[in-house]
Amino acid sequence: MDLLKKALKTFLSLKTTVWLLLVLLVVLFYGSLIMPSRPEFQELYTLPLFRWLTGSPFRLTWWLWLSIAVLSLITINTLACSVDSVVKKRGARNWLLIISPQVVHVGFLFILLAHLLSSYGSYKGMAYAYEGSVLRLPGGAEAVFDRIKTTVDPTGYVTGWSADITYYRKNRVVTRDVIRPNDPSFHDGFGIYVRTVRQSPYPVALIELSREPGAPFALAGGFFFLMGMSLLLLLKARREEPAGTLRE
Amino acid sequence: MSLGNPVLLLTLAAAAFYTLGCRRKFFILPAFLIQAGYMFYRGMLLGRMPIVGPHDTLFFLSASIALFGFPLTFKQENSRPLFYSVTALSLLFLFLSLPFKPHSSPLPPVLKTVWFEAHVALSFFSYALFGIGAVLGAVFLSAGEKRSELLQYKTIVVGYFLFSAAMVFGGIWAYLAWGTYWLWTPKELWTVILWLFYGLYLHARLTSRWTGRPAALLGIVGFIIVMFTYLGVSLLMKSSHSF
Repeated sequence: MDLLKKALKTFLSLKTTVWLLLVLLVVLFYGSLIMPSRPEFQELYTLPLFRWLTGSPFRLTWWLWLSIAVLSLITINTLACSVDSVVKKRGARNWLLIISPQVVHVGFLFILLAHLLSSYGSYKGMAYAYEGSVLRLPGGAEAVFDRIKTTVDPTGYVTGWSADITYYRKNRVVTRDVIRPNDPSFHDGFGIYVRTVRQSPYPVALIELSREPGAPFALAGGFFFLMGMSLLLLLKARREEPAGTLRE
Repeated sequence: MSLGNPVLLLTLAAAAFYTLGCRRKFFILPAFLIQAGYMFYRGMLLGRMPIVGPHDTLFFLSASIALFGFPLTFKQENSRPLFYSVTALSLLFLFLSLPFKPHSSPLPPVLKTVWFEAHVALSFFSYALFGIGAVLGAVFLSAGEKRSELLQYKTIVVGYFLFSAAMVFGGIWAYLAWGTYWLWTPKELWTVILWLFYGLYLHARLTSRWTGRPAALLGIVGFIIVMFTYLGVSLLMKSSHSF
């Protein structure tokens, strides 16, 4: 029971947050130094993090495992502090001001959840597509590339591209779409992107099929984070808050 | 770069007005207008915001420091140390932009989006605020004026908000352009290091142990990380964000 109380006290402490963040920073700093020097990390562009981690030697990946462990502790710390703060101050008058840092925390936790989901279930595949090429999606639908176009300025510089596609299921047209730069086509949970296009000797597009299950959570996390911070800034704009005012 | 170069002449004119501003504050207005005018001219010429490549981004950073830094000096009782420091920081980036050639070629289609422009512009606004935060930290450490430390905190909070917004917008853009909101590149990793570091600052400052001098020092260290994330990683490491 004492041990449990001690653990709870530790996770309710802001000091714990500071030390965990410090450890995480040191670990990520180390990782940022070795990442560019090892070609093995290039595979991370195409594989989900956890599949890459389990298939790579521990001497290369230990810092990522440690980062995940520290992030797990930070998650518990964030949850404990947020719940504690809301419970303790639920009767306060300036409730919006009290809740705004917790909205920021919710945003942070959503972003972590997004990365967790993407680290398990993301998918990336690349291929060349010609006019008439068929791309079979894992859900059973087929995407046919009808037309691949580029727009070129007078100096010969490619200013844009597009690919007209038709989705079929069991030989029946489901829908049609156009892929442009920054405007992919989504179907059955997958996104089809055109990375680049070449017109000569015949139109061909480098396409990417991508699934990012964490994306909606990352977007929600970003929204909550910014909303919480906006509230905090608006409500605290005129308050002079002295430092060292919270518990340790 | 020859003396007849219009960019050099504009830079020297802006620098002269900023220096005169140290005697009479009024002169910072024409100095800033010269910078803003040059960026507006380049924007009109290119048909986009001039925020690509080291020349334009360093110039933008210099102007952003002036934009956010000088109004803060009006609120200070003893504004001279802060005024001189903001001037020096803005001039440093103004002159650093000179050796680099302006990037005037058309952008790849994938960069022609409001998400990219918002991502970059907000990043540099936040870098400017973090820079001013570092200056305020140095002023606090040298003069011991409590108000400077409080102003450092407020500057960093606003900078952190803008930096977070820049990251969110960058994530949205990356998802629409490449199908992922996160890439394992050194730049992204350093961006997270920077974000976590200022998160650490904001949490640490709430505790009594880190209050005052340690917090001011953290604010200064933060800007060193900003500089490495911006210039160090871009120039030294291979990344999707390389110049």
